[in-house]
Amino acid sequence: MSCASKKYVSLMNKVLDQEATEQEKQVLFEHLATCDECRVHFNELNDSTELLRRLTHPQLPAAFTKSVLDHLPPDKRNVIRKWGSRHPVLTTVAICALPMSLVVIGARRQTRDRSGYALVKVSGDQT
Amino acid sequence: MDQSEKRLIKKIRKGDQQAFAELVERYKNSVFAICLRMVGNAQEAEDLSQEAFIRAYNHIDQYDHERKFSTWLFRIATNLSIDFLRRRKNVVSLDAVVPSTEGLSLNAMLPDEGEQPEDRIVRKETEEMVQGEIKKLPEKYRSAVVLKYIEDLSLKEISEIMEIPVGTVKTRIHRGREMLRKNMMAEGGGRA
Repeated sequence: MSCASKKYVSLMNKVLDQEATEQEKQVLFEHLATCDECRVHFNELNDSTELLRRLTHPQLPAAFTKSVLDHLPPDKRNVIRKWGSRHPVLTTVAICALPMSLVVIGARRQTRDRSGYALVKVSGDQT
Repeated sequence: MDQSEKRLIKKIRKGDQQAFAELVERYKNSVFAICLRMVGNAQEAEDLSQEAFIRAYNHIDQYDHERKFSTWLFRIATNLSIDFLRRRKNVVSLDAVVPSTEGLSLNAMLPDEGEQPEDRIVRKETEEMVQGEIKKLPEKYRSAVVLKYIEDLSLKEISEIMEIPVGTVKTRIHRGREMLRKNMMAEGGGRA
């Protein structure tokens, strides 16, 4: 492409970017009418971008959204409530575990008491 | 940004996943189109789209609600696609062969409006040719061209997505366009 055409290439870009003024458009199109080289160049640029524009926009499968949701970290607000309703038995066990453990610990203490100084205390009571 | 979207994002920040599902529905095909044209493979593009949405959800706190949500989302999708391409560069490409379009002039490859069933094969070949040409563009030209011609975004939006000045976007689009033209001529019209 010759040096003089460089000016027209930048005009072509302006027109293709839809940033050319009416006057600039006129200058370009008047030149294109007389210059085969530039006309071919401009048409080729136009055709190339037209091919891009006409590429199809394929749709994602309907299951896509659900698949995204399945990969999100669990919803913090509902995590305890949801877990509870999904595992009722485990929830009951968990709820009961606290008083149960207290009972077990208490019972152990009592056994230890019986074998240890508690005896002294009992004998003290009897005297 | 429209009000319904602002409301949705408020809910998402509180952890409402149903609100997020609405945003996914709204933008999934645009995100997919960007990824597809960037990487050129539907399965990989679907995986990247999914990753883009998961990232958006996990980093919703970083989203500046004064700006368009789509700008932020498209930036995530574009960056993920570019990262993917860089990783893939280190792996031997199996699909480097570009489909031949010998004997077809560019104009003949433009699909008609009222398409006949038998034209579908031609259109498929055209799509493969165009996708092959996009693939040849360097990443920085490719993303500018894809955002401009596939998503039909303004130069300003593209500059916000790519975080570069509008002037740089223009240069990249001009160079990308010129490369496409040259390559398409060499592949198709040039030999016709």
